[in-house]
Amino acid sequence: MAEPSRPGWRATLGPWLRLLGRRRRRLLAGAGLMALALASALGLLALSGWFITATGLAGIALAAGAALTLDVYVPGGGIRAFALTRTVARYLERLYNHDTVLRLLADLRAGMFAVLADLDAARLARRRASDWLNRLTADIDTLDSLFLRLLAPAAVALAAILALAGFLALWSPAVGGTVAAVLGLAWLWLTLGQARLGLAASRRRVDALERLRGRVIEQLQGLAELEAYGSLAAHRQRLEAVEARLAADHRRLGLAAALGNALAGLATGATWLAALWLAARAWQGGELAGPVMVMMPLAVLALNEALTALPSAFTQAGATQAAAERLNALRAARRPPSSPVTASLPEGPLAVSLERVGLRYPGALTPALDGFDLALAPGERLALYGASGAGKSSVAALLTRQLVPSAGRMRLAGRPLAAIAEADLRRRTACLTQLTELFDDSLAANLRLADPSAEEARLWEVLAVVELAEWADRLPRGLATRVGEGGRRLSGGQARRLSLARLLLRDPGLVILDEPFAGLDRALAERLAGRLDAWLRGRSVLYLVHAPGTADGLLPGVTRRLALDTAAQHALCARTRNLGG
Amino acid sequence: MAAGLVAGGLTVAQLTLLAWLVAALLVDGTPLSALVPGFLALAALLVLRALAQWGQDAAGLAASLRLRTRARAQLLDHLAELGPVGVAGHHTASLANRVVDQVEALDGYVARFLPQRQLAVAMPLLILAVVAWLDWLAALFLLLAAPLIPLFMALVGMGAERLNREQFDAVSRLSRHFIDRVRGLTTLQLFGHTRAATREVHAAADDYRRRSMRTLRLAFLSSAVLEFFAAVAIAMVAIYVGFGLLGYIGYGPADALTLFSGLLVLLLAPEFFQPLRSLAQHYHDRAAALGAAEGLVALLAERPRRPPDAREAMPQAPGGLVELVGAGVSHPERGRVLGPLDLTLARGEIVGVSGPSGAGKSTLLQLLAGFVGPSEGARRVAADHAFAWMDQRPVLIHGSLADNLRLAAPEADEDALRHALERAGLGELLAALPAGLETRLGERGVGLSGGQAQRLALARVFLSPAPLVLLDEPTASLDAASEARVLEGLAALAAEGRTLVIASHQAAPLALARRVLHLHEGREAGTVHG
Repeated sequence: MAEPSRPGWRATLGPWLRLLGRRRRRLLAGAGLMALALASALGLLALSGWFITATGLAGIALAAGAALTLDVYVPGGGIRAFALTRTVARYLERLYNHDTVLRLLADLRAGMFAVLADLDAARLARRRASDWLNRLTADIDTLDSLFLRLLAPAAVALAAILALAGFLALWSPAVGGTVAAVLGLAWLWLTLGQARLGLAASRRRVDALERLRGRVIEQLQGLAELEAYGSLAAHRQRLEAVEARLAADHRRLGLAAALGNALAGLATGATWLAALWLAARAWQGGELAGPVMVMMPLAVLALNEALTALPSAFTQAGATQAAAERLNALRAARRPPSSPVTASLPEGPLAVSLERVGLRYPGALTPALDGFDLALAPGERLALYGASGAGKSSVAALLTRQLVPSAGRMRLAGRPLAAIAEADLRRRTACLTQLTELFDDSLAANLRLADPSAEEARLWEVLAVVELAEWADRLPRGLATRVGEGGRRLSGGQARRLSLARLLLRDPGLVILDEPFAGLDRALAERLAGRLDAWLRGRSVLYLVHAPGTADGLLPGVTRRLALDTAAQHALCARTRNLGG
Repeated sequence: MAAGLVAGGLTVAQLTLLAWLVAALLVDGTPLSALVPGFLALAALLVLRALAQWGQDAAGLAASLRLRTRARAQLLDHLAELGPVGVAGHHTASLANRVVDQVEALDGYVARFLPQRQLAVAMPLLILAVVAWLDWLAALFLLLAAPLIPLFMALVGMGAERLNREQFDAVSRLSRHFIDRVRGLTTLQLFGHTRAATREVHAAADDYRRRSMRTLRLAFLSSAVLEFFAAVAIAMVAIYVGFGLLGYIGYGPADALTLFSGLLVLLLAPEFFQPLRSLAQHYHDRAAALGAAEGLVALLAERPRRPPDAREAMPQAPGGLVELVGAGVSHPERGRVLGPLDLTLARGEIVGVSGPSGAGKSTLLQLLAGFVGPSEGARRVAADHAFAWMDQRPVLIHGSLADNLRLAAPEADEDALRHALERAGLGELLAALPAGLETRLGERGVGLSGGQAQRLALARVFLSPAPLVLLDEPTASLDAASEARVLEGLAALAAEGRTLVIASHQAAPLALARRVLHLHEGREAGTVHG
């Protein structure tokens, strides 16, 4: 399929080649080891062939009564030396190169995570969770083939072909020329030709695997509903259709690689046959000694080893290209560096002012916010009401700089929000998002996210505030208990209370609470609200809630209520649940 | 395998012909022109060998594709059998990794390692026979080197396998760690924790590198041993043959060596080790496959926590749909989480389930649905026990809005879909969508807010004809107006004669119920009849 807009290989791989370039010396050393191993293998077979022929001919001459001496010790020593270097060089080469590549991968993984962490909330929301998993593991793993499976073996093979051709040309230019021509062409086909042959299918492969993974995750997460509705079989069929396409591509690639393997064997075969023929002619013409004639095809025969790895690697080259493209796109989407930081935030409660703020999600039908005004005096507690989708969570995302407004002015403690230092902003604001996000880690680690230096006693304190201390105390592993994926091992209410406790470890000047007691029963929520009141004293507070009536008494100390305009209430826009309010 | 043997045989023939040509030229002084047929035969052998090689690859590929399709189907069948509760004990990303990537990891083993393993036995034997016929002492060199190889490889392999398993764990831990951090990126950003999290990701990846290197050090050692033996054997054969040809070796068969036999022995020596070397190259395919297979087998060995046939008996009460008699559910780690409980659901009834979080409301619904079997007592269900389900995390499949609705009713026409959306309070949303029912949705509800996703799940309930409807917090994230509309819809469902079980914290949905079962620590703490 033609994709006219696809950037070329150079543009796609450029950034990654530059990245490889940073470890140039390591890579060159690795390629050098590779070449050394190949040269030893080649030397071993060629020298052995020469030696046997020379001794054979000498033996015949000796038997015929001729007097001649043949130095057997130098070639013998050479043969032993080649045997040893081949073994050692190969082992070291593989170990060294894999270590290089994995080092590169660790840097890449962290680098890509940093890129993701730099995406704004709107872009973040557009990615699917399994996309990300795939990006950081599969795509980066695929890119590892760039050096170890593509660049280095191809370069070493080409160098070996040219070096051998030059070496053989010392005796017979015809043999050298033939080797260079035939194997050079074969090299072109085995690298570029195979890459082209497998391009479409191998480009699709990562996507297809990702799609399959997405389907499997859907099926597992939705097992309850799928089973209830008896639609498991139908969903399974969709999954199997994805799998069948994957298998078809795999077959196509496998056959292409098999073709390459067969051709590689055929090309070396044809070359050593031709070398034998040409060398025999030269020998008959008296231009060559017999042992050298035998050495020539044998050296070419040993070169086979350099070519066999190429076809299967290059058939998959499209996957590397596609992975690089996807990672490039992600890098390109990262947030532009924020404007120069000029402001810090004072201690104590913070004032908030939003003037004529507008926000539109990419691809949304209607703006999420349009001409929105909000003023909050220091220490004031304001409740913002609105139905789901009215934009409450957007306000929270704007104030915490997760999103950038498309219009209007936003100020925190009188300073332009965009100019506030990141660390200051994070330290002085706290936000309880609508969606409870916990990490697959221990209770303590989840709490310490808010304050890495918090002592254990402090953790128990905040747990007591949300009435989880007794429960946690009864757990066999106490604070070391792991909460599971996204806090799954906790009930919904426990997870909510834990995220509330996490907030209490901070000392912000502005607190945003999005449906703070969602999923908790009324009596518990009221008790928690009472305790929260004490902590909220001396801080500005913004409550985000559904409706004015239901939550009375659960918003301690609220002094003012503001209904959010519901004009954009049902806009379907690119938001995930953690953003949709 | 057969193609592989043919290819191997052709290689031996090729080399024989090569040695013969050389000997004919150098020793017998045959003119090159007289040897043209020999060269042509050699060319033909080369082509045949390429074909055989292609056949070997193609056969391995076909076998691998067959196996993977079968393994994946078996896994998915098993996961479906384990059911929602059985699967909930696992990390979804890890399971997906098993079903997708670990099954893929079987490829190298089936396509390359298995055929090569048979060749690794057959080919050396063939070559050994040829060499023994040429010169038995040279054959002895090869024979002495050969048995050491599998022995050493087995020793090395045992260690590599264990390490490989560890590496698989490391990979799955790495992906788990990563997806978890990515899902919570918003929180990490809010707490200003992204730098520390990036460092954690780096540390996890570096740990993976260290583990990989430990595996590779051993995996490469096994092939290095082979390389060593292969190289040394070639060197020894070359030197032995050379000295023999010079007449320096006065015993054994060395006297009988000719340039032909000497050269052929030399050429065959690397081929003797070649199949084993290929095998060693594919050795970590094997280790990877075994590591993967172990995870897969462990998963397949997990028994579902529900009886294979949940339909033990019909309810005894007339008109009863589901009946629990002294039923309880125990969890291997948490102990008893529900029951013992007696409950009969009659047709057309609305039953509320209330209680503090962790009281067992969800477990009760899972038991009624049959996702989990009673560990004590009995659960009896009517013959037409179809049910609709809605929980706090509705599934949104990658596809159109219509696809998502048709999960519940594959045959439903567009009018039915629209109607269901209206009843769930999503009519206005649908009207605002330019692509209407064809609007694309994705995993985790991209494009829908939490409330909207939940209402979509409700629309599915409306579409489903099931007599029993199990609802877990159906209005948890809805605003008052939507909630009222949804509750109206639920009342309409009940009016159709459907049985509703609603587990909720909130008063409004429970108010629909004729009786409310209050749970406390898994036990019935009281029933209120409305």
